[in-house]
Amino acid sequence: MNKLVIIIAMKIKNEDDLDNYIICHKCFTLHKIIPIKDGYMASCNECGAMLYRYDTKLVDKSLALSISGLIFFILANFFPIVKIEILGHDQFITISKTIFTLIDSGFYIVGILCMFLIFIFPLMILIIDIILFTLLKLRRSKKFTKTLLVLLAHILPWSMPDIFLISILVALVKLIGYVQIDMGMAFYALIIFVLIDIYIVKKVKISELWILRENMILKRSKN
Amino acid sequence: MIDVEENRLIPCPICNAVNIDRGNKNICRRCGSAIYQHKNFITEKSWAYLITAIIAYIPANLYPMLITNKFGTHQSSTILGGVVHLWENGSYPIAMVIFFASIVVPLLKFFILFYLLISVKYPFGKDKKVDKHKLYYITEVIGPWSMIDVFVVAILTALIHLSNISIVAGTAATAFAISVFFTLLSAHAFDETLIRENIKDSK
Ligand SMILES: [Zn+2]
Ligand SMILES: [Zn+2]
Repeated sequence: MNKLVIIIAMKIKNEDDLDNYIICHKCFTLHKIIPIKDGYMASCNECGAMLYRYDTKLVDKSLALSISGLIFFILANFFPIVKIEILGHDQFITISKTIFTLIDSGFYIVGILCMFLIFIFPLMILIIDIILFTLLKLRRSKKFTKTLLVLLAHILPWSMPDIFLISILVALVKLIGYVQIDMGMAFYALIIFVLIDIYIVKKVKISELWILRENMILKRSKN
Repeated sequence: MIDVEENRLIPCPICNAVNIDRGNKNICRRCGSAIYQHKNFITEKSWAYLITAIIAYIPANLYPMLITNKFGTHQSSTILGGVVHLWENGSYPIAMVIFFASIVVPLLKFFILFYLLISVKYPFGKDKKVDKHKLYYITEVIGPWSMIDVFVVAILTALIHLSNISIVAGTAATAFAISVFFTLLSAHAFDETLIRENIKDSK
């Protein structure tokens, strides 16, 4: 595809006018933000990635989802994920047992890394999201929401509960035929938690949250 | 009124806000993060992480990943050995998942980052045809999946530890985890705005 690269000198009143523009996170094309209808989204005409959307219910929806996410995350941590029977012995794993077995057997680096990737970061994201969406809903705290959003952007790439879930399935397929496997309640809780996590982490983009913050908090303080 | 050229606009890596590129050091006008420090410094950090990751990947493949103790006999297998074993036993899908996650993904990420890091400094002739942003995006998406094998080892170790039969993690697990960790660091330290800078230079 031939693309004409035209360097346009644009005129802007001040730097804040740059808020009317967005750069595609996938292909780096510059777009001007145009108003769209409620419930619709704008996508990049170069690569098709979602740029932003206008959804008045996004804050309520995300807040409800983060709270349910936290509930399922707690359930997933308190109950056994899988139970197996091997040589007449019952064995089970929980998320914490998976981490502490590694640390107990001397694998400190792997153990601590796993603790962050599958426990601390996913939990932090849920808590940050709950506080953030509550503050957005209350239209408060310009400064703290900024801190939370920056922190969130740093943690997001390091949260891997979805990959852990797939790993459980891989591990179990390896054991099929040798042992009898029973899925525990936490396994189903973990599936629901991962689905919620995928929605609030992967579907809701950081740039959207900044736009929300602007609309909900900054514009109000001007009035 | 300010006049600004479109190709001087860069996104903040943290909050995506559009900023005007002012050269050596930019502070995002919205979130206050440093967008772009000294050009050389940024690639050097990314190089250092990448090289550490590649070095750690060598013992990750030579040492055993998983040690199975069965009634007094020890059996250890490396990453590749484990894949071959699964394949021979007919577990094709799992063999392919592990092969993809532990061998294809890390190597692909090494090559892409290596290429990107070289090409932002020394653009080759046909360079413009390669969509570097897409390449970087691929590394971001597939990167974390290389943790699968480490998690699998962790799960099996926690699940099977009887006196007669036990599964223990091997040295490779630590080496592999370090390798994945540094590859992720390298990818995040890589400054995507350098790709843009380069297109501008080559005109
Ligand atoms: Zn795009
Ligand atoms: Zn920013």
